[in-house]
Amino acid sequence: MKQMKNIFKVLITFPMLLFMGCATIISGSRQTIKVASIPSSATVYINEVEVGKTPVERSLKRNQEYQVLIKLDGYQPYETLISKEFNAWYLGNILIGGIIGLIIDPITGAMYKLTPEELTANLTHGGTAFRTEKKDVYLMVNMDIDPGWEKVGQLIKMK
Amino acid sequence: MKQMTQILFVIMAVGLTNCGPKISSNLINPQLKLSVEEKVALLDVHHELPNNIIKVGDLRFQDSGFSTDCSFNSLMTRVRNEARKNGANIAKVIDKKTPDLWSSCYRLKIELYKYVGDVSTLSQYKLTLD
Repeated sequence: MKQMKNIFKVLITFPMLLFMGCATIISGSRQTIKVASIPSSATVYINEVEVGKTPVERSLKRNQEYQVLIKLDGYQPYETLISKEFNAWYLGNILIGGIIGLIIDPITGAMYKLTPEELTANLTHGGTAFRTEKKDVYLMVNMDIDPGWEKVGQLIKMK
Repeated sequence: MKQMTQILFVIMAVGLTNCGPKISSNLINPQLKLSVEEKVALLDVHHELPNNIIKVGDLRFQDSGFSTDCSFNSLMTRVRNEARKNGANIAKVIDKKTPDLWSSCYRLKIELYKYVGDVSTLSQYKLTLD
């Protein structure tokens, strides 16, 4: 009975491994991008499509590149490009000799991982940071005050 | 075994290099480059062109054979970038082939135009994220 169970497991697992790429199994075809800003409630546009106000997260296909624009009144807009880079899990197909995986991973986009790039170098002084948490990309932007705006007052919190 | 490794490397090289669609362009009348702030109207096949437009050129998106990034939204994002680069603020789809048995890609013929009016008032395709 136990042997039958093992055979059944192999019969299920083997075709799965055979017809899926290494990177597709490990990474999936989508990656989550989380965007936060200081101050929050800045509007986030990905490829000029409004996706919401910070903090916001969005699951994006790995086989495309994305222009990210973050806008908030009174602050300089922040722009970055999320580009696709080679996902090392794709090499797993060579190690296990999976020809099908070599074809499947580019189709699903799993052979790539999304990585942000700095477009506007001077904005890095504002304290922009991004890091990758496991599979996700976390983009944290410290918005710079627009020098074109003049400070006319300051609200003070009441005791 | 050696031959097998060679085949794997060839497939990987093809996968790494040829995943974009093939783009051909014929720009007969390029205009001044537009900034990112300036809107570009993306008109699908059923959307009508306004009057008083200047033709800037044509674009054609085909399947390179190994294209994977070729959804309609992805191609239209590229169209918008190409339009801005050549000073066009209207991109009109004149022929659209949807994915079928022969290709998993959208194949498009686009005409680029310069319009002097406000393009945001035109009936147009609204891009979404895939």
